[in-house]
Amino acid sequence: MGAVYLPSQFGLLLLPLANVQVKPGDKLRITCRYSHIGQTDSQPLYAAIGNEGWAGFNEVLHGSKTISVPEDSAWDYHEEYVDISITTAISAGFYDLYAKIGGTFPKVISPSLLDVVEVLADIPDSEFGEISITDYVKV
Amino acid sequence: MAQYADIVEIVAPGEAVGGNRVDITIRIKNNYSSTIGIMAGGALEYGVSPWPNINFPEPSANVDGEATRSFNGYFTMPGKKVTIHAYSYYYGADGSWHFDDEMTKTIDIAEEIESQFGSIEILSYSRR
Repeated sequence: MGAVYLPSQFGLLLLPLANVQVKPGDKLRITCRYSHIGQTDSQPLYAAIGNEGWAGFNEVLHGSKTISVPEDSAWDYHEEYVDISITTAISAGFYDLYAKIGGTFPKVISPSLLDVVEVLADIPDSEFGEISITDYVKV
Repeated sequence: MAQYADIVEIVAPGEAVGGNRVDITIRIKNNYSSTIGIMAGGALEYGVSPWPNINFPEPSANVDGEATRSFNGYFTMPGKKVTIHAYSYYYGADGSWHFDDEMTKTIDIAEEIESQFGSIEILSYSRR
């Protein structure tokens, strides 16, 4: 199970995060909160599943959509979501999650949430292996 | 001092961004003891001539004696500081509108803030 450290009056507080289980064919909806000031803007909201590592975030699957941000004369918070389609391109296991706003040069990047997505193995299509007679009686 | 249509207040922001719509309200009191027709008007002073008018969708109304009525107007903020000139008129027994009062208010030009994002955090994640 993943967790994040949050500052509190007692020092850093370890907040456990629940895992979500997904499998190919599902969608993972990531809801984000961001702060903004200034003119109206349109930017991509982007989220990715992958692995946080020493060299950065190794993305495996991602989703994005363009969000329209209203004019904010003072810092204000907004919420938006983005969906990631789970495909067979990702193998079973635990993965990390992060989100950002902006394209190649992000405006802002979220902290990564570690081991919060569990991808389950894809259940194979229906197949029959063999058949044998186990009994025979008069009816 | 107005004779009948006394402008008591101009409600308007202290500053506005150039190109944006600015909504204002002119509050006019009927000093007369009974109902009369009162009309609001306005113009913008910022270095152009003639002074552009302020739009009032409903510029006139019958106002009860001693009552105060709000007249809503709007204009597009020019690229510099502007002085609102608000005018009031009353409808006379001769069937004409008579100028009565004037009040001014200045609106400064607001600096336009470029879009900035401060932070982002993931609130929730769920299977759909």
